[in-house]
Amino acid sequence: MGLLTIIKKLKARERETRILMLGLDNAGKTTILKRINGEDISTISPTLGFNIKTLEHKGYKLNIWDVGGQKSIRTYWRNYFEQTDGLVWVVDSADRPDRLEDCKRELKELLKEERLAGASLLIFANKQDLSTALSFEQIKDLLELDSIQTHHWHIEGCSAVTGKNLLAGMDWIVDDIASRMFSLD
Amino acid sequence: MQFLCSQAGYRLVQFLEFSIKNEDTNEMLFQLKRPEIPLNWEDIDPAEEGRTVNYKFPISFLQAKNIGTTLTFAVGPKELSSFRMIERHYFRDRLLKSFDFTFGFCIPNTVNTWEHIYEVPALDEKTKKEMVLSPGQTVSDSFYFVDNKLVLHNKASYSYC
Ligand SMILES: Nc1nc2c(ncn2[C@@H]2O[C@H](COP(=O)(O)OP(=O)(O)OP(=O)(O)O)[C@@H](O)[C@H]2O)c(=O)[nH]1
Ligand SMILES: [Mg+2]
Repeated sequence: MGLLTIIKKLKARERETRILMLGLDNAGKTTILKRINGEDISTISPTLGFNIKTLEHKGYKLNIWDVGGQKSIRTYWRNYFEQTDGLVWVVDSADRPDRLEDCKRELKELLKEERLAGASLLIFANKQDLSTALSFEQIKDLLELDSIQTHHWHIEGCSAVTGKNLLAGMDWIVDDIASRMFSLD
Repeated sequence: MQFLCSQAGYRLVQFLEFSIKNEDTNEMLFQLKRPEIPLNWEDIDPAEEGRTVNYKFPISFLQAKNIGTTLTFAVGPKELSSFRMIERHYFRDRLLKSFDFTFGFCIPNTVNTWEHIYEVPALDEKTKKEMVLSPGQTVSDSFYFVDNKLVLHNKASYSYC
């Protein structure tokens, strides 16, 4: 229950915390979510709708929404923006160049969204275990993350297969959300 | 309590799988899967009566501290602009736990999952014993709302042995 250590940080908050995971199809969103919680990752199929994980601990609630990334579903993403505290953008670092262009374009569109304006942004440069994967620095440049002025952001090179850096990334986003809450108080 | 609505909601949502896991030991405590038959969204009798399902759990269930439940449901050809579930668990007249979860928008023709990990409300040993000795007196009501309208009401009763 790796996420339990994370939810403990959210105690300063009163309402539920909502994290939205998006990214192109096949990026590894569902695998990451299962891996974080120590579940079997061998039989995951593409997500048609959503997978939600709710963690309740001593009255505090963390909801993580993983919505499918296939092109036909992306038009529905906007239905899940409301009240999002954190956005996790998952990238297949070994994807084809044209898909990485799509990935950059979709992310830029999201960042224009008013309803996501207050959200912390974590980018997972996933599949670092593959030899063909671009490094997280290369993904950062490719997605032009340095030009983002509107959101607190952080990038983490990770692998849902080995589990590398998954908790570090979730830790960052939860910390960032929690610190914003403190500064609002 | 009576069933508070017909089961017309099965034209909108159908449940495929439900499981309960002990999060501390990873032990699967319960799993119910619907056979893989094609889903039918049309020939649903809107007047169909609700049913009470009886579940049997091992006694070890009552010792679990953190559990995770996973609900898998399919959404039919109609999108749901707002889907919400309220569930209440009782032992006799005592409310043990209540859930209120808003799924919100649901995409048409999809399969969705909700995994809920929570601490089981602490019960004293005496109550646990009584629950074991009183099969069928631990019960739950699940209410499903689409656009604020109650469309499904399911009941369950539990025994531990
Ligand atoms: N090598 C490697 N494969 C991964 C990794 N993460 C995910 N995969 C694989 O990538 C494929 C897609 O993973 P999913 O988790 O289904 O991807 P998704 O982003 O949820 O895809 P959609 O549900 O279609 O949006 C699966 O075959 C995974 O096993 C990783 O870190 N390394
Ligand atoms: Mg998925």
